[in-house]
Amino acid sequence: MDPKLLEILACPVCKGPLVYRKAEQELVCKADRLAYPIRDGIPVMLEEEARRLPADEEVE
Amino acid sequence: MGGTTHFGFQRVPEEEKPRRVAAVFASVADRYDLMNDLMSLGLHRLWKRFAVALAQVRPGERVLDLAAGTGDLARLLARDAGPSGQVVLADFSGPMLARGRDRLLDEGLGRGLAWVQADAERLPFADESFDCVTIGFGLRNVTRKERALAEMHRVLRPGGRALVLEFSRLRLAPLRPLYDLYSFAVLPRLGRLVAGDEASYRYLAESIRVHPDQHALEAMMREAGFEGCEHYNLCGGIVAVHRGWRA
Repeated sequence: MDPKLLEILACPVCKGPLVYRKAEQELVCKADRLAYPIRDGIPVMLEEEARRLPADEEVE
Repeated sequence: MGGTTHFGFQRVPEEEKPRRVAAVFASVADRYDLMNDLMSLGLHRLWKRFAVALAQVRPGERVLDLAAGTGDLARLLARDAGPSGQVVLADFSGPMLARGRDRLLDEGLGRGLAWVQADAERLPFADESFDCVTIGFGLRNVTRKERALAEMHRVLRPGGRALVLEFSRLRLAPLRPLYDLYSFAVLPRLGRLVAGDEASYRYLAESIRVHPDQHALEAMMREAGFEGCEHYNLCGGIVAVHRGWRA
């Protein structure tokens, strides 16, 4: 992930900050509990493509 | 939800349009650049250069190119932004974005570029992130254009500007029958022959006719909060560039 891109990326739903999970290749919005996938190095910032975090999944 | 919108000359449920536009671009992605050259006789290259000149991007600036597709605008913008700047290419269509990335990387232009799959109506960027936002031949395909314009305004810093390059209304009325003949008889056939897809190019011609004209789009930009809005007609208004500023 490009650090300069990470600086400005936000959740498309709430515009809040995202947590970058390098191992999972995901960008997580804690407020909406959505994990946006990074596919082939391209963040897919579409709500309909995001994974909904189960209630028991902790976000660092 | 519940409303309908244009998909070319058809009316479709609003929630259906994104999927249908995505299908059009997934179908034409491989032949997109060749078709642009053929359809416009190469003129699209000049239109894009004109729009980028109006963007007045300076070294070190951060630019968002929406509906970036295969990267024609971004390539020119990146030259102006220089190595200390950044151009973010965003597109709703995954196949178009992948195609554009491969092409720019093949040309050795990866530096200072970043790619994001995103919906223009719901941009995944913090407020005031960019000095300039461009959208070339993309706004027409957005379902709720007013939302996209409001988002473009939101992500601009004060003093930043937005550029919309889009097909518009031919101002020279006597030439309209000829333009219609070209759009509805020639284009779909060209699409069938070259891209193996007649329907997508029929959609292109129809979507141009239902897109807001120069003055309507300028009014929409003002409505979205832009100031100092103006437009420039190219080829007699077949294409127009609109520019507005965030105060």
